[in-house]
Amino acid sequence: MNLVFALAAATLFGTGAYLLLHRDLVRVVLGIVVISQAAVLTLIASGLTRGAAPIYPLTKRALSDPLSQAMALTAIVIGLAVTALLLVLVLRVVRAYESREIDEVAAEEADRDAQLERREAREHEDEEAAAR
Amino acid sequence: MTALALALVIPWAVGILLVLLDGRRRLVGWLAVAALAANLVALAVLAAKVLPEGQLTVTTGNWPAGVGITLRADPLGVLFAVLSALALLAAVVHEVLDGVRERVFPGLVVLLSAGLSGVFLTGDVFNFYVFFELSMTAAYILATYGGTRRELGAALVFTAVNLLGTFVFLLSVAGLYHVTGTLDMGRIAIRAADVDPNAAILIAVGFFVAFSVKLGLFPFHFWLPTVYTGARPAVAVILSGGLANIGAYGLLRFGGELLPDELALAGTALVVIGCASIVYGGVLAVSRRTSSEMLAYSAIGQVGYVLAAIGVGGQIGFAAAIAYTVVNALNKTLLFLTVGVRGAIVGAVFALGALSIAGVPPAAGFVGKLELFRAAAGEPAVLVLFLLGSALSFVYAFQIYQFDFWRGERTGAASARAQQALVAVVALVVLAAGLWPEPLLALSHDAAAVLARAPG
Repeated sequence: MNLVFALAAATLFGTGAYLLLHRDLVRVVLGIVVISQAAVLTLIASGLTRGAAPIYPLTKRALSDPLSQAMALTAIVIGLAVTALLLVLVLRVVRAYESREIDEVAAEEADRDAQLERREAREHEDEEAAAR
Repeated sequence: MTALALALVIPWAVGILLVLLDGRRRLVGWLAVAALAANLVALAVLAAKVLPEGQLTVTTGNWPAGVGITLRADPLGVLFAVLSALALLAAVVHEVLDGVRERVFPGLVVLLSAGLSGVFLTGDVFNFYVFFELSMTAAYILATYGGTRRELGAALVFTAVNLLGTFVFLLSVAGLYHVTGTLDMGRIAIRAADVDPNAAILIAVGFFVAFSVKLGLFPFHFWLPTVYTGARPAVAVILSGGLANIGAYGLLRFGGELLPDELALAGTALVVIGCASIVYGGVLAVSRRTSSEMLAYSAIGQVGYVLAAIGVGGQIGFAAAIAYTVVNALNKTLLFLTVGVRGAIVGAVFALGALSIAGVPPAAGFVGKLELFRAAAGEPAVLVLFLLGSALSFVYAFQIYQFDFWRGERTGAASARAQQALVAVVALVVLAAGLWPEPLLALSHDAAAVLARAPG
């Protein structure tokens, strides 16, 4: 059973990492969501005991570990909130850049840097000329 | 006990209230300042209680010990909590004086401080994750503060990379629970010695990656320059002076206390990565021409010292790492604050910050560097790299000083008196820590003693 969990979590993490490397921003978000599911699955798998649901009145049979389930629930809720936040962020970026491709965001950054460099180089030359 | 509860409840309750109000109004901004100041007072009271006694543990909700979540205040946690609260307070005062631009800013900073207090004062690994996520979520939104394309692009990178780091952390928490059967830090520290080394090393690597991403260490630094230069100065102060402390604290707490054997095993690797970070950050900072870019790369270099000191380990190494984290957070707070301020006093303040980064007396940086050299005294190669890093930081800091203040790039109307007074006060703190270093050294040694006492 541990092996099944481990394989499932590894597959999820790998899929998420693959999506995360895409240029499309929505896929990046999806990648993070899938990776968060890998983490939740690992939390569930980390439970120490397996058995009946740990709900009162307790049975005599072996019970599953309630703590890892509580942790998984918390992680799911936090993951939901963070995903919503990330989607809003992507929406704002898309509106600001009118693009969903991460490359274009990066290209704009590079342009700005290049402009800054050029301006500084010019000023530097001016100063040297003035010094002469 | 009351101080511990207040330090968590004040910022949390006030933060929720403030998020609902319009933060652009002056009154709301000052309310946030008051809440942060109250939080700082509660933490200081807690520190005064904890430092002589050593440790204070509370189990929440009157549960029997071992069932409820434990909150734990010890010198290490309290020191980091007070430090972060100071940085956040300075940032918010700066921004409120300047005029807050978005309605959620004050509330989010107060919520961030609730998360930070919780991270530093909890004794439970999963609770650590929850508070960690609380402060990170506030930081993701704060990174967009300003709302232009630059900030949004930077915030997207920041959020995506740090979320990935958070999930790697969560994976390690799950692993740690599985192999030790508990979430309580004290009990994990006792049981970790019997864990199968293969599993423990994997878990330790996960924690290392997660906290290195937070710190912006060399191989995990790629997000940092974009974010620190893209964000507004107040946000850069919050990220570098407040939030980055989580990384250093996490490495110390999870490495030094919970998994000490794995930390000792990885000592050399950590020193190598730390030195790579020092050289990389230093060389790239020299090539920069604006103060915020220089500071961003300098941040990568400066945390390298912290990691190298942790790698050296032992009480001296941990004490040096803690002292340098404090000094570095103060430096970054001071220098990022000066980025947006103009006026007669700013040049002198920047020069003091530059001296502190380079580790020249009388600034606080000298004390931090001295501790580092003491920790690395046995290893000549590391000493040489530390010296090289210090020389580089001297060059880049004063190069920017020349560009900004001698060539007169920072011209324009002088900022309000209060703005200038604020940077002057922070500068006085840096100067005081350099001139009278005993409190800082005593605190960092007390905090390191917590880790050295841990079994294993």
